Amino acid sequence: MTNRKLLSEAKLWLVAIPVLLWTLIPIYHIFLFSISTKDSAFSGRLWPDHPTLHNFVTVFKQEHFYLHHFWNQIWNSLWIAVAAGAITLAIATCAAFSISRLKAKGGRTVMNAALFTYFIPAAFLAVPMYKAMGTYGLLNNRWSLVLAMVTLAAPYAIWVLKQASDKLPWELDEAARIDGATPLQLFRLVYLPLMVPSLVAIFTYALLLTWNEYLYAFLLLSHENTIPLAVGLGHFLASDDSPWEILMATALIYGLPPAAIYYAFRRYMVGGLTAGAVKS
Amino acid sequence: MATVVFDSIFKSFGSTKVLHGISLDIANGEFMVLVGPSGCGKSTLLRMLAGLEDIGGGTIAIDGRVVNDLDSKDRDIAMVFQSYALYPHMTVGENMGFSLRLRNDERKRIEDRVAHAARILNLEPYLKRYPRELSGGQRQRVAMGRAIVRDPKVFLFDEPLSNLDAKLRVAMRAEIKALHQRLKTTTVYVTHDQVEAMTMADRIAVMNDGRIEQLGRPLELYDRPANLFVAQFIGSPAMNVFDGTYRNGAVEALGARWPCSAKAHEGQPVKYGIRPVHFDFGSGVEAEVVVVEPMGAETELVVKIGGQSLTVATHGRSPAAPGDRISLAPNAKHAHLFDAASGARL
Ligand SMILES: Nc1ncnc2c1ncn2[C@@H]1O[C@H](COP(=O)(O)OP(=O)(O)OP(=O)(O)O)[C@@H](O)[C@H]1O
Ligand SMILES: [Mg+2]
Repeated sequence: MTNRKLLSEAKLWLVAIPVLLWTLIPIYHIFLFSISTKDSAFSGRLWPDHPTLHNFVTVFKQEHFYLHHFWNQIWNSLWIAVAAGAITLAIATCAAFSISRLKAKGGRTVMNAALFTYFIPAAFLAVPMYKAMGTYGLLNNRWSLVLAMVTLAAPYAIWVLKQASDKLPWELDEAARIDGATPLQLFRLVYLPLMVPSLVAIFTYALLLTWNEYLYAFLLLSHENTIPLAVGLGHFLASDDSPWEILMATALIYGLPPAAIYYAFRRYMVGGLTAGAVKS
Repeated sequence: MATVVFDSIFKSFGSTKVLHGISLDIANGEFMVLVGPSGCGKSTLLRMLAGLEDIGGGTIAIDGRVVNDLDSKDRDIAMVFQSYALYPHMTVGENMGFSLRLRNDERKRIEDRVAHAARILNLEPYLKRYPRELSGGQRQRVAMGRAIVRDPKVFLFDEPLSNLDAKLRVAMRAEIKALHQRLKTTTVYVTHDQVEAMTMADRIAVMNDGRIEQLGRPLELYDRPANLFVAQFIGSPAMNVFDGTYRNGAVEALGARWPCSAKAHEGQPVKYGIRPVHFDFGSGVEAEVVVVEPMGAETELVVKIGGQSLTVATHGRSPAAPGDRISLAPNAKHAHLFDAASGARL
């Protein structure tokens, strides 16, 4: 009995250790670069001789050619991610509520359409999206990226929230209707409070998706003042002699907010994103 | 307080017909129980009255006003669900006051009404708790509190006790009954448990397969069931029923003559029904005891007569043991005759 348990535990470790290394080594690599001086960055050591925080100071003070707009760009990243998260959340919540709880006509079609969008890779849509934004005169406007990310995130968000909504007991709606609730009161006073975990999960999902987006940001935004940090980071690679240690310091800073958000909401993320994933 | 009138109500889900023309008048302040086996359509009927289900055909009127096209919230009814359907994110007090809050009542008035209901239901210590922190019986009472607070025209109950254990069910039965006697609000109560129906109802509508088989006071249904279905559904232990032939003022069945007071045509095939408590011991039909079930206050015997199992109940203890042969005298006054083909009472 215990032998068997040990064996399965060992198998688990056999999988877990490579996965852990596979995730952690690049991160450690980034970290190593960011605390190294320019000349020792490529020394190949596991720990630099003279670790320094100087790279971070350079970044925060915007003291490098590629970093003149650092604060502006991180603000863009944040602004765009929060806006896309909020709009996705609003759209998906309303859609899920009306399809799942109000049984709106055509709900099935919307759900099928939402699923169907995933048969088309996002990269295929990049050019049409570029043209559309051009038509609306939104190119180089942060809203273009917000809208593009909402269209990419919304189908999945609707799908997940609809599944989660379906799990709320139907009697609650009936009880509320008998208690005298209008659909809007039902939404505000019963539905939203009960959906909080899923809503948090979907908001962070859309937020992180947008925060990490590169392709669309690169296509739709090109001005130094409108691009998010992801694109700004890409500019580092424009020259032959890239300042790797500063690039990595910036990248580390860029990676911290998602990690913090994920950590803060980890309870909701696991429960919320898998809620409705399987039929109970 | 109000009357409720169902007038030839029809309902189908897709091509399945569920209700076939139900008409039922419920008087002001009456406690009406709809009882019937699973799937007979009693919940559907109640939900139509609540406005949760479209009315397929016919009209429903509350207090003389046809409500077919009214929203649930405009019908002035309150409903207690089998699953209680308490709002999990609200405290007991908030749950009970929710309907008043939706009506934009004053805060003070809501608090007073909730406190009043909590006092009636002994829920005062729990007002600040959440539903998940309550026992099943307490949740049940909160669900009732939510209904009381509104002072509606009609209370609707859909199997409110079926999630409780047997002992609590008996206690809550008495509580609901007492509540009704105190508030005198017209009540429609759905159950599949005939004991609940018998003990609580002013009148019972026995439903089967989308029809009302019989409507009447509990003891009327018990004493004069209109047909075989009601006869076998009402009463515990259930009535003994077997086939026989009417001859010379009695029924010939199971190799014996069974006395009865009802009349049938000479030679007519009938069903003979007799409740377990309506046997006397003494001279009569010969029977063999198969099982003895002592319950303290009374004893149930399962006996075999002519190959058929019958139940006999006696007050007090019985000296009989399995294998004994006894002689039973069916009480003619309490024997029921039903037409063998239609099942209608003769
Ligand atoms: N939404 C629905 N769609 C299709 N059929 C339904 C629906 N609701 C109920 N039915 C059918 O209608 C019939 C009556 O259902 P109803 O719920 O009224 O039964 P009931 O008498 O309350 O039974 P129970 O004691 O099991 O609650 C059943 O045969 C059921 O399958
Ligand atoms: Mg039912």
